[in-house]
Amino acid sequence: MAEKLTPSAQIGQTNSAQDSSVIIRVEHLGKNFGENEVLKDIDFYVNKGDVTCIIGPSGSGKSTLLRCINLFEKPTSGRILFHGEDVTAMRKPPLLRQKVGMVFQSFNLFNNLNVLHNCMLGPRKVLKLNKADAEKTAMKYLESVGMAAFVNAKPRQLSGGQKQRVAIARALCMNPEVLLFDEPTSALDPEMVGEVLSTMKTLAEQGLTMLVVTHEMGFAKDVANHIVFMDGGVIVEEGTPEQIFTHPQQERTKEFLSKS
Amino acid sequence: MIEILCEYITDILIGVGYTMLVALIGTIVGLIIGVLIGVYRTIPDPKNKFVKVLKKIGDYILTAYVEIFRGTPMMVQAMVIFWGFAKLNNGQTLDVTVSGLIIVSINTGAYMAEIVRGGIISIDKGQFEGAHALGLTHSQTMFQVVLPQALRNILPSVSNEFVINIKDTSVLNVIGFTELFFVAKDIVTQTYKTFETYLLVAIVYFILTFSISMLLRFIERKMDGNKNYKVLGSQNMDAESYVKEVNNG
Repeated sequence: MAEKLTPSAQIGQTNSAQDSSVIIRVEHLGKNFGENEVLKDIDFYVNKGDVTCIIGPSGSGKSTLLRCINLFEKPTSGRILFHGEDVTAMRKPPLLRQKVGMVFQSFNLFNNLNVLHNCMLGPRKVLKLNKADAEKTAMKYLESVGMAAFVNAKPRQLSGGQKQRVAIARALCMNPEVLLFDEPTSALDPEMVGEVLSTMKTLAEQGLTMLVVTHEMGFAKDVANHIVFMDGGVIVEEGTPEQIFTHPQQERTKEFLSKS
Repeated sequence: MIEILCEYITDILIGVGYTMLVALIGTIVGLIIGVLIGVYRTIPDPKNKFVKVLKKIGDYILTAYVEIFRGTPMMVQAMVIFWGFAKLNNGQTLDVTVSGLIIVSINTGAYMAEIVRGGIISIDKGQFEGAHALGLTHSQTMFQVVLPQALRNILPSVSNEFVINIKDTSVLNVIGFTELFFVAKDIVTQTYKTFETYLLVAIVYFILTFSISMLLRFIERKMDGNKNYKVLGSQNMDAESYVKEVNNG
């Protein structure tokens, strides 16, 4: 197993300082679907402000790992700590999900609501904001993703890239501590990929903590400060983009990167 | 036929009134029953063992209800409920109109339960996940996101039930309910014009069902809303100018 280097260890922080900035710590995480072992003994952590990209071939368990973190999947073994608290035993997943947002490959905008109300639903029902505040929040983030002009449109009237930008705004409206992206550009055509990635890049520059499952190696190289390479349900190698893309240590990593 | 219509117009209109009353209220109450059962059936398995057993028992009761009322003719149900009530109540029967409303409602409810369940499971799983990812609870997800879409999708089936109910209330004549068919039978005993009377009643039934079908289709189209939407200002508009535009209409 490769040496595990984390971004904060890189810049020479002490252990205690590191611990206080850790938002998510995954310990010995395992997940089986029946006989099928999808994740095996996964260990890693996410610091505040990190942009972590999880890369790897299809079926390597990347999405399952992401879905375990906001409890869409129940881990079979191991722990997930959110600010030091074990969430795997949590009785009320909604309390975690308010703070850990998620953006999906298939957008999952609410088809019955227009763009504005898609973004207002969470703040209204979960954060209990009043209508005016929820609308203000929604407009602020819709503006930041360049979708403010489309508040009246229904999801079916938007292009894929527009939908994904609205979905990102919707997640941001909850003011999450971490935002999980599950292959956010995989359902988009090449032109639309660009508009979504540049939105995500802006968020990264603003210091949002992001955990991104992606096949966009260019994005991972430019924007992430931490890369996790997975295959066959284990973390094969992790480190800075430079370590993974320029000097990969593991044969499997080299093989994977040479093909992409 | 025209003479019959002229002479018995008041009775026919009363019959039409009762038929429509029972069909409309029966469909609405049936839909409410169906939504409640549909929502109950999608509640995720409770963690508490005792609650889990309770829910299981509830499931069995609901299944029995749906299967029994779908598996027996409404005319027989009407007799069993009407006379069963009388039996339990020392021969005192329940008011005929109230009986009719109850029978049609619970009969429709059994069908609606399946229609609503179908509507809910037809909604893409992503809609649930999108809502759960924001921290919405199961019931918030249901009422804010899933049910509005499911109800829109099942509207054609609900319209269908309504039209069926308009016709099927005719079986309530067996308990002496004054709906349209009962009125027709009454007219025949007075005029002996059997064919003319029933032809007239057939036409009245058709006018009722056809106009209701058209009305509901119109409502469906309205519910789909505008095909177009208004793009406000430019794509890079800020919040302030948005508010200004909205206020200007």
